[in-house]
Amino acid sequence: MEEVIFGSNIMQLFIALILVSTFMILGSTRLYSCVRAFGIQSFLLACVATVVGISTGKIDLYIVALLTLIIKAAVIPYIFIYIIREIKVKREIDLYVGISPSLIIGGILVVISYYLIRSISVITELSSFALSASMSLVSIGLFIMISRKKAIMQMLGILIMENGLFLGAISLTNGMPLLVELGIFFDVLIGVLIMGILIFRINKTFETIDTDMLKNLIG
Amino acid sequence: MIYNNLFYGLIIFFLIGAMLSIVFNKRDRLSTYVSFLSAAIASVFGIIFSISVIFGEPFSLSLSGSSFLNFGFFIDRLSAFFILVISISVFAVSIYSIGYTREYYGKKNIGYLGFLYNIFILSMILVVSANNAIMFLIVWELMSVISFFLVIFEHEKPETRKAGFIYIVMTHIGTGFIILSFLILGGASGSFSFESFSAYGSTMPPLLKDLAFLFALIGFGAKAGIVPLHIWLPYAHPAAPSNVSALMSGVMIKTAIYMFIRVFFDFLGADVPWWGFLVFALGAVSALTGIMYAVVEPDIKKMLAFSSIENIGIILLGIGASMIFFASGSPVLSAIAAIAALYHLLNHSIFKGLLFMGAGSILYSTHTKNIEELGGLIKKMPVMALLFLIGVLSISALPPFSGFASEWLLLQSMLLSFNSTDSMIRIVLPVGAAALALTGALAAFCFLKTFGIGFLALPRSEHAEHAKDPNKPMLIGMGIFALLSILLGLLPGYMVTFLDRIVRDFAGASAFDQPFSFGISGILKIPSTAMSISTPAILAIMLIFILILLSMRFIRDPSATRVYETWGCGQPISTARNEYTARAFSKPVQIWFKNIFRPVRELRASYTVSPLIKESFKFEVRVEQIFERYLYTPVVDLMLGKSRTIKHIQTGSIHAYLAYIFGTMVILMLYIIIGGSL
Repeated sequence: MEEVIFGSNIMQLFIALILVSTFMILGSTRLYSCVRAFGIQSFLLACVATVVGISTGKIDLYIVALLTLIIKAAVIPYIFIYIIREIKVKREIDLYVGISPSLIIGGILVVISYYLIRSISVITELSSFALSASMSLVSIGLFIMISRKKAIMQMLGILIMENGLFLGAISLTNGMPLLVELGIFFDVLIGVLIMGILIFRINKTFETIDTDMLKNLIG
Repeated sequence: MIYNNLFYGLIIFFLIGAMLSIVFNKRDRLSTYVSFLSAAIASVFGIIFSISVIFGEPFSLSLSGSSFLNFGFFIDRLSAFFILVISISVFAVSIYSIGYTREYYGKKNIGYLGFLYNIFILSMILVVSANNAIMFLIVWELMSVISFFLVIFEHEKPETRKAGFIYIVMTHIGTGFIILSFLILGGASGSFSFESFSAYGSTMPPLLKDLAFLFALIGFGAKAGIVPLHIWLPYAHPAAPSNVSALMSGVMIKTAIYMFIRVFFDFLGADVPWWGFLVFALGAVSALTGIMYAVVEPDIKKMLAFSSIENIGIILLGIGASMIFFASGSPVLSAIAAIAALYHLLNHSIFKGLLFMGAGSILYSTHTKNIEELGGLIKKMPVMALLFLIGVLSISALPPFSGFASEWLLLQSMLLSFNSTDSMIRIVLPVGAAALALTGALAAFCFLKTFGIGFLALPRSEHAEHAKDPNKPMLIGMGIFALLSILLGLLPGYMVTFLDRIVRDFAGASAFDQPFSFGISGILKIPSTAMSISTPAILAIMLIFILILLSMRFIRDPSATRVYETWGCGQPISTARNEYTARAFSKPVQIWFKNIFRPVRELRASYTVSPLIKESFKFEVRVEQIFERYLYTPVVDLMLGKSRTIKHIQTGSIHAYLAYIFGTMVILMLYIIIGGSL
């Protein structure tokens, strides 16, 4: 069953598109397009959940897909845009690592993830495609957190990692129990709210959301 | 069945005390009465329970049936003896506390103090009754943490916070070693129950046994305060409220002695000769070091804390001698030494409790602990002075008080080593006896100074001028201990037969299987020798002497002596500034041991316009704490230095921290790809 789903062309397409959306975030210098790309990524995740739901016939997965669509593809991007507007931050992203090196490192990370999943023998050939994509998302998300200065990008990075985990979970288990999924959604939403408030505080204290300035806090 | 009820009653009353004192924490007086009376009732349960176990059968109670973690209690005669020691102290200290906490009314949260106090005692009782290493560690940690909170109860003072810090660090170093020791024992016996420890502990390979012994010695030694792990004691005990100091010094450090006996005799079999010698040597060093620092210490409570180190040293001398005799195959001698050790332990818990409560009363009515500011208290607080004097005489090991009986027995047990065939024993034990004698002399000197400077002569400060006897509960609490000090001194025969029941279990022999009976309870007689002593007889002789002296005074013609002030070279001498100071009194000792004390003298003078006319002098003498200076400071400096070099990786930048995680993740991924196993 599982192999049929993830081997199917439509799944491969969606997963490839998710990776592409991740590279959109990595390759963009403007906050809005990053947020937009994140929204697209979340939308694609909802599509993956729907496809899995159709082929396994689990009603739970439709609910998960719907929640993904509402929370990750709509509410969270809206919160991002609200924050960007409210604190009138400069629309460009400050980088530690330039765009082209970032893209190259992203590519390397995808290759490493692919080989990593391949070398773990317990996973079947076909679902390994989804898993390596999920691993790539996690590592690229972490890389985005390191290489971008603005606090908003750290927030975005951790959400990309979360999306990666979601993809990994759904590809390994064909949908976790609904209760667990609901818990995770709640977590993400609260996390985003808290991080949003934190960004406001950082902005108020340092008059910038450049996390580089937090260095001043060490004793 | 009755055992169960007594034991439950013991636990429940402590819990009731703890809970109710929190419930009523807004009402100081109610909270005080509820928490301390409840603790006193619980301790009565404890006394009845422990005596019935000592004269009856061991008690065990299981809390869970699972074989892996069979939490529960096992109370044999040794545990029961310690419950008895704890309960007696708690009873008197609780009554004292009702009066003592009045000082905190309105200033501190009494409910919080009552809660900690009850839980602290409960944890000590559970420590000596746990039957499982895991459960033991939990209650041991509970005891350490709660006592830490009690130490920092007056946390608004910076020196209290420092004391708390040193205490918590030292106690956790100790716990680390205890865990190591238990892991070795647990690994060898395949279970963490104390039952299997004692079944398999002595069959371990020699190296493992030695390691388990050393780790336990360090771990419990840190709690007992043996030199050089004692550095927390002179800070923590004075910092705590005096009623708590009385319990910490009198009882808490004894739980470590309990575990020494439990681990060395019960678990490990105590059959390795050098263990005993090591414990013996540490005891001698602790006793001497403790009392030497006590002599030159001007802070009364700190002096008492140093004296606790000394007394723990004396107890360890007994335990060490007992181990030496046990390993060399003379169980009767071993039993005598162990009886002496336990006897002294009981005595110390009582007279040290009494003295700490006395110091607390001094603090309560004069608001100073510095002996140089006291003086003349015998006239201002006569009842307290009498009770304190009994404590002083006991701790100085003067007949007929309690300290004398136990130290005499200990000295005799060491001198009995002349009968041994092993030349090592014949050399080492008399040296220990000499150390004990020196310790006793210094202790007498130290407490002579304390009483003489603190209570006699004229008040040295405003504080001492306005002192008066503390309130009734405080005096009653101290009175109980004073009475016990006298009784324990006058009835050594009873005590020794009583203690023999406990020692028989672990030393494997009874000192009284011998055809010699101890006869009348007041006579202390060493079996198989002609040595004996009777404290009541000594008392009688002393009383007769005093009577003779007094009657001589009456018989003499009163007009032959003229009562007048001492001639003071034409100067008025009746001011406090002319009095002998505590520092001056202890100066001879400081000179004898100046290589150890390394006293630092500073003389600062400020001049007026002319360098010939001095405006004021400031003279300062300090005694070096050699263990802190030459052992701890270098280690701490080394650690701090290394930490500073490592500190550079803590940049404070979020990106750097994330990069560490990222780097680790990528390396791990690559490691798996190239074929590393998970």
